Amino acid sequence: MSLRRVLVIAKLTGVELSRRRVALGLLTALPLAFYGSSVSRGSGAVLTGGVAMAFSVAGASIFVALTARPVDARLILAGYRPSELLLGRLLLLELFGIAVTGIFSVVMVFGSSPEHPWALASGVALVALTSVPFGLAVGALSPHELEGVLVLIGVVGVQLTLYSTDLMAKLLPFWGGQRLLDHAVNPVATGAAAPVGILYAAALFALATYVMTRRAPAVGGAKRHSRDVFAAATRLALTRGG
Amino acid sequence: MSLSAPAPENACLDREGRPLALRASTVHKRYGSRSILDGVSLSVAAGESVAIIGENGAGKSTLMRICAGLLQPDAGEVSVGGRVGYCPQEPGLFDLLSADDHIAMFAPALGLSRREALDRGHELLAEFAFPIHQDAQCRHLSGGSRQKLNLALALLGGAKVLLLDEPYQGFDHGAYVSFWEHVARWKGEGMGVVVVTHLLADRGLVDRVVELRVAGSRLEVV
Repeated sequence: MSLRRVLVIAKLTGVELSRRRVALGLLTALPLAFYGSSVSRGSGAVLTGGVAMAFSVAGASIFVALTARPVDARLILAGYRPSELLLGRLLLLELFGIAVTGIFSVVMVFGSSPEHPWALASGVALVALTSVPFGLAVGALSPHELEGVLVLIGVVGVQLTLYSTDLMAKLLPFWGGQRLLDHAVNPVATGAAAPVGILYAAALFALATYVMTRRAPAVGGAKRHSRDVFAAATRLALTRGG
Repeated sequence: MSLSAPAPENACLDREGRPLALRASTVHKRYGSRSILDGVSLSVAAGESVAIIGENGAGKSTLMRICAGLLQPDAGEVSVGGRVGYCPQEPGLFDLLSADDHIAMFAPALGLSRREALDRGHELLAEFAFPIHQDAQCRHLSGGSRQKLNLALALLGGAKVLLLDEPYQGFDHGAYVSFWEHVARWKGEGMGVVVVTHLLADRGLVDRVVELRVAGSRLEVV
């Protein structure tokens, strides 16, 4: 694992993402519109806006993952490890998630005056934290952007329709954040929301790494190729002969 | 794909006693029930150029991907004598990044500093008359310019084996001629060069032509 390689990938992912300004603006405006349209209906708006923010961060992550796929094989052949590529993207996208978290937290704290504003900020941050590996995993598994975005809409949409106390909600990736958001505006305990969310994020990142490594089945072979194998074989033959 | 060792003492040399740059032995590959490569073998010596020809679907690109280490064969072995430079048929590039961004991205993987990679990359691109000064995002480049960048990235790391899958699609005549002049130079530097092509004219520009038939069997035309 090379820190320089991770940072180079993070930097260039940032350059690429910064050139998608319109798409990023729309991705951020969408959940804000969800929040704005429901703010007059009380505390539910915080849950809607906070969970819907996953559209923004996970959407960006899916685009990053799928855009990179045709190049990844060559980068791995050149010497990158799949984990270095993913870590670089994770790093940059989490920074993007922090920025989006700041925007959403400020808007919703001032717009809804929650009882526990720090729980709101924590909930939004947990949604962002989980959204990046979720997007990277969906990006790794989906054949194209359309399928990836449909999965994102499906998962976030179902999470939005459920209460945080529902069993089904607890099985979905954004439950931890949803529960913290619920705690911010309603008298419910947070329970194990934060650790569950973090574990879910870690599991999704592991899944993305696994899928990406599996997709490059000859990675090991490519690394062997980078050495002078003929010379190695000759040395071995001479060693055995001698 | 695996390396079988120990190799016989003369396994690293071709019939003329030259060191091998690439050896693929009885490679098999199927996609579902369809056999693409059926026991294909290919050896390329250092300093030798080989053209791979064949009908669409004969498995040329599949063989290139297997030799590059990007695809696992169902059976068979591939060994190479050093770093592989692979230029795919479709340039895999980031549309929103520039040529410099791509070169900088490949640099740490190839053990080069950013400066070294940019110097080397600019040198390669200049040889193919790539419009470096424009610093344009790849989505704004012509097909030929994208292919030049694709080729430069394959060459950036100082490869011993070049696997070039129809590398000059979109090239103008001058760039095409320049490409073959470079092949001669790369040969002189000891690289093994494999070029997938459909152009009849190319057959006279290489040391050896290997034809892949649709069934995957190989016919060698010297």
